[in-house]
Amino acid sequence: MTISRKCVPFTPFDRELSKSTIAIVTAGGVHLKDQEAFNIADELGDLTYREIPPDVDSSQLMVTHHHYDHSDADEDINVVFPIDVLRDLESEGFIGGVAKKHIGYMGYTMQLKAMYEGTAHEIANEIDRGSRADAVVLTGG
Amino acid sequence: MKGIPTVLITVSPEVSAQMRPPRALYPKGFKIGNSLGRPGMRDLQKKVLCDALNLMTQNTRPGEVVTIEYPEYGEQYEPPHVKTLR
Repeated sequence: MTISRKCVPFTPFDRELSKSTIAIVTAGGVHLKDQEAFNIADELGDLTYREIPPDVDSSQLMVTHHHYDHSDADEDINVVFPIDVLRDLESEGFIGGVAKKHIGYMGYTMQLKAMYEGTAHEIANEIDRGSRADAVVLTGG
Repeated sequence: MKGIPTVLITVSPEVSAQMRPPRALYPKGFKIGNSLGRPGMRDLQKKVLCDALNLMTQNTRPGEVVTIEYPEYGEQYEPPHVKTLR
C-alpha cells in the first residue's frame, strides 16, 4: 500500500472516548531498561522500535536518544510517554482502556525512505493487529 | 488496513505541520522534551492529554496544528522553525 504524500491520511474517529482504548506511540526514544537500547552510535539513526506493555512500571522505562535534552523525561517519563496519565484517565472513565501494546522508537533518522516505507508500516501493523487500540496518541521528544 | 485514528502532541509545530498530521496539538511554549509538560506536573500532563484526545471528537481540519496555551507551564520557549533553502 502506497501512502500519498499529497493528502492528509485522515481516519475518522466515530466512537466515544469513554469506550475507546488508547495506545501511545512515541518518537522520543523510550524503551524498557531491560530492552536493547537504541543505537545512537549509528549516524544514520536506528530504524528499530520497542514494544512497551500496558502494565509497565514507569520507573522501568528510560530514554535513549541523543537529539533532544531528555533530562526531564529521565525524571518523569510521562513528559514524553504519558502511560501513568493514560492509566489515570482510564480509572477516571475518561477513556475506556489502555491498549495492550505501546511503541517507542527513536525519531531521528537520515534514512527517511526506510522509516516512511518500513518502520512506520511495521509500527502501524503492531498497533492495528496487536494493541486493540481504537486510537493512538503520538508524541515526539 | 483501514487506518487508525491518531492525534499528535508536538512541541515543534512548524516542523510537524510539514507532515500534515491528521490531528495535532501544540501546547504553546513547551520546550522540546516536555511534550506533556514538566516532570511531576500530573494535573497539567492530564490536561494536555485530555485536550489532545478531545481533538479526536472535534471537527478539526486535517493537517492543521491546534495551539492551546497552558499558563501553569511557566516559562515559555520558542519552538524550532523550519529552515528554508535559498
